[in-house]
Amino acid sequence: MSFSLAQILLFIIAYLTGLFAVAYMADRGIIPKRITHHPAVYVLSLGVFAGAMATNGVIALAHQYGYNFLLYYLGVVLMFVLAALLLRPLLRLCRVYQLSSLADVLTFRFRSPWVGAAVTIAMCITLLPLLALQIEAVADSIHILAGNSFAPSPEDHRHDRLALLFCIIITVFSILFGTRHVSSQHRNTGLVTAIAFESLVKLTALMVLFLAAVYGVFGGFADMEQWLIENPQASEPMRQSIQGNGARAMLLMFFAGAVCMPHIFHMAFAENNDSRDLRSATWGLPLYLLLLSLPVLPLTWAGIKLGHELPMDYSGLAIGMALKSVPVNAAAFVAGLSAASATIIVTTLALANMCLNHLVLPLRPLKIDRAQSIYTQLKWLRRGLIAILILAGYIFFVTLSGRQSLSQLAFVALTGTLQFLPGIIATHYWPRANRTGLLIGMSGGLGIWFFSMLLPLAGIDNPVLLTQVYHALLGDSEHLWTAATLVSLGLNTTLFIIFSLLTRTSPEERVAAEICSMDDRARPTRQILSVYSIADFSHRLSPALGENTARSEISRALNELQFSTTETRPHALRRLRARIEANLSGLMGPAVANRIIEDCIPFLPGEHGDTEDIHLIERNLDQAQPHLTGLAADLDNLRRHHRETLDKLPIGACSIGGDGELLMWNQSMEHITGIAPAHVLGSLLGTIGEPWGHILEKFLRGDAATLLKTEVVVETGSSRWVSLHKTLIAKGDQGNTVIMVEDITDLEMLEEELLHNERLASIGRLAAGVAHEIGNPVTGIACLAQNLEYESDPEEIRFMAQDILKQTGRVTRIVESLMNFSHTGDHAGETKLVPSNLADCVDEAIHLLALDREAKSVQFSNHCDRELVVLADSQRLLQVFINLLGNARDACAEDGEVHIRATASDTGDTQIDIEDTGCGIPAELQSQIFEPFFTTKEPGYGTGLGLALVFSIMEDMNGKVQITSPLSSGENPGTRVTLNLPHTNYGLAFEV
Amino acid sequence: MYINRLLLLVSGVVLIFFPAIESWMVSSEIAWYRPYQLWLLVVVAAYWNQRTRYPDEL
Repeated sequence: MSFSLAQILLFIIAYLTGLFAVAYMADRGIIPKRITHHPAVYVLSLGVFAGAMATNGVIALAHQYGYNFLLYYLGVVLMFVLAALLLRPLLRLCRVYQLSSLADVLTFRFRSPWVGAAVTIAMCITLLPLLALQIEAVADSIHILAGNSFAPSPEDHRHDRLALLFCIIITVFSILFGTRHVSSQHRNTGLVTAIAFESLVKLTALMVLFLAAVYGVFGGFADMEQWLIENPQASEPMRQSIQGNGARAMLLMFFAGAVCMPHIFHMAFAENNDSRDLRSATWGLPLYLLLLSLPVLPLTWAGIKLGHELPMDYSGLAIGMALKSVPVNAAAFVAGLSAASATIIVTTLALANMCLNHLVLPLRPLKIDRAQSIYTQLKWLRRGLIAILILAGYIFFVTLSGRQSLSQLAFVALTGTLQFLPGIIATHYWPRANRTGLLIGMSGGLGIWFFSMLLPLAGIDNPVLLTQVYHALLGDSEHLWTAATLVSLGLNTTLFIIFSLLTRTSPEERVAAEICSMDDRARPTRQILSVYSIADFSHRLSPALGENTARSEISRALNELQFSTTETRPHALRRLRARIEANLSGLMGPAVANRIIEDCIPFLPGEHGDTEDIHLIERNLDQAQPHLTGLAADLDNLRRHHRETLDKLPIGACSIGGDGELLMWNQSMEHITGIAPAHVLGSLLGTIGEPWGHILEKFLRGDAATLLKTEVVVETGSSRWVSLHKTLIAKGDQGNTVIMVEDITDLEMLEEELLHNERLASIGRLAAGVAHEIGNPVTGIACLAQNLEYESDPEEIRFMAQDILKQTGRVTRIVESLMNFSHTGDHAGETKLVPSNLADCVDEAIHLLALDREAKSVQFSNHCDRELVVLADSQRLLQVFINLLGNARDACAEDGEVHIRATASDTGDTQIDIEDTGCGIPAELQSQIFEPFFTTKEPGYGTGLGLALVFSIMEDMNGKVQITSPLSSGENPGTRVTLNLPHTNYGLAFEV
Repeated sequence: MYINRLLLLVSGVVLIFFPAIESWMVSSEIAWYRPYQLWLLVVVAAYWNQRTRYPDEL
């Protein structure tokens, strides 16, 4: 039973066209999104792992190694079941930083384009046997189906032309499949769906073979078991132990393959948008592989029973031939074809991306040409690379020395890719690792691999020395590949560790290690950007990317971050920079993207992140909060508690970085300023809008740690009073400053009110004296007026008129004094410091107090220099003297004395002493006398606000007040109130 | 690092009992499906385990 070559080729084209149709329908949305984006599709797409090795090679493996064949699956199963170890952190890294291949990850971690280039070249070489394996499996199958037999000499049945034909077809389809999207950020839905479909086809075909083997060859399960009992030699390999170095090496290879093989990496990370899909894969992929592996043993036994001449890899075809069943043959062929085509398509696509990002673009920058965008150039480059890679696979297949078994080819490829495992593990678990160690380790491991595994494939040399070394080391000489695997990996790891420890790890590598580390969350640092607007970004990126591409990339990043085009906050611009780099990384790889961003939008030198981006850290912690446990949860709760305390603090608090960037802005700040935290966090202090930006920045730059009672005129035109306090939290060269903003508007209003009330109360107390004082001249005027009526002597009348004018002048002066005293009842009034004559002010106060006739008779003596001028608000200073002299008079006995003296110091201050001969103030009361409503007078004789207001007024005038009592011993020890006022001078000349 | 405790426990148990499990697996000539029974158990455990979300998931 055979098929013509034309029939087979038509079948291949029809199958691949069907596959392309599936991809096309998925891309166009003809297949609903709920199917194409279902986790099951992602899980099935990971079935790309099961290449021709899974459909053909593994049968020979089972025949040779018994249950050890399960290790082929078990390695991958372990990797996915233990996804938390490597896969989950890798997925996080790939998604955040738009990394789409192993070379991207290692370049990102070790911050060197050389690493990317080395890994890419090594990956291309190590993957050649895998590509050759797929080509060989399909070419052999075509050869067998065409009715040819396997002759003893391998040279007789090379079918290179068939292989070339298959390669040409698969190249066309690979290009069609893989280059629809230029950026790795977009999920290639068509490709994922098509590969998932191929996995289903593969599984179905193997199940058909399973049934054909059990029922067609044996006649049922019972008969198969009976045959096994009757033929113990068939089941003998099953009794082999799965332990031993061979098994360990095999498990290691397949375990590493799950993350190091580029096609699995591509499907698992580059084409995965959602971590939920990875969670489904942790059980879905093991289940799929379980089903896929079920037919292996029955197919092996069926092959043994049939005793066919074909290699055991092609037992499926042998069964079809024996049963003369077209469906069984078709199933056997389709299983191999689907597995091989999926592996070749995805592998070459992934390798093409790596070559483009790490070999082509760093050497040949893209042309900035309006006629052909960067995207189109990338697409064509990728297509060319896919063709070259498949051609390289074909050439390698042709150069194979003879007929290697599929499993031999698989072991060579897997041992090669195993050399990347130390790098991947170190990426997450060893921050000390550096690029020198990685490159030297990889060179050592790959060198052993090259000489002991790859060259023998081409028939060159047999590394006896290696076997001897291995035997000496492990005392065992199993298979050569076991020796090569363990020795190469051992040497690789040893060199990696030694050279990483001996050489210096660069600061960039340390930062990247921290980002990749699983023990710590990324600690982003704040660095200062050299651009201040979105337009700057566009301007800077245009020379590297072209104007249109730069605009389109910026617009994409802005959309993803949901920022507006007017954004100027440094924090937002930093995030935009990182996002553009990540997006470019998806387009051109991390090395090129990093180079472009570093060249076009560098950080300012000398500001290398001493300070951490607190805002970003808090956001990360908030996201992680539901999952923190134990000590971490306690610490987080403590953080939240402190954060909430700061937020709910009734005093405004904001934190400003060394560069003037706002890091914290609590609720009270929002209440005081009317600016929400979301609008200012991450902004520069000076840019937050008037009047607050200016006030806060001026205070921040100033030397004073405290600024009391500052008036702020807000947008509505009303005034607010605030007191500002600041403290520096020093850390390294640059420190953060915390500014506390105390809203004292209500207090200030109340104080004004009290001042006014106190003034009115004083006027009230003076009322009787005023009435008496005005009454006397009025009586005099009345008498003079009466006499005037009868007076005829003009000289007398003139004297009387002069007397009347004198008396009215006296009344006017009293009224003016009262008016003057009560004048400053303006609540919104600001303290206006002007040159004021001190002696005149004291006289005025004495005169006013003299109006109170009911008060004790006390002698006031004003000793102040008549020329002494102080910088003060004369109205308020008058109120100060009224209160102090009034208190002094009340404290004195009848005929007591009050002396007022003023002295100007050399420093320009004036000290005013008001001394009385009163009863003094007990020491225990001295600490309370400036408190509002504290009084020692009888009820009705004092409000208790006088000294409080004196204190407040003196503070407003930048002065001080101090009490000294007693001044002497005896019955009337006396009290001295000392006032200090800055800025004094003689005469009227004053410079302020 | 967020390593699931259940997986850690299962790994430990498998490591300790591997020799016994292996000898049970290969002891029968005809019960070739025994490894698959264990495998199915692993799948069920993995399904049970994946219901927990991890903080570093995106």
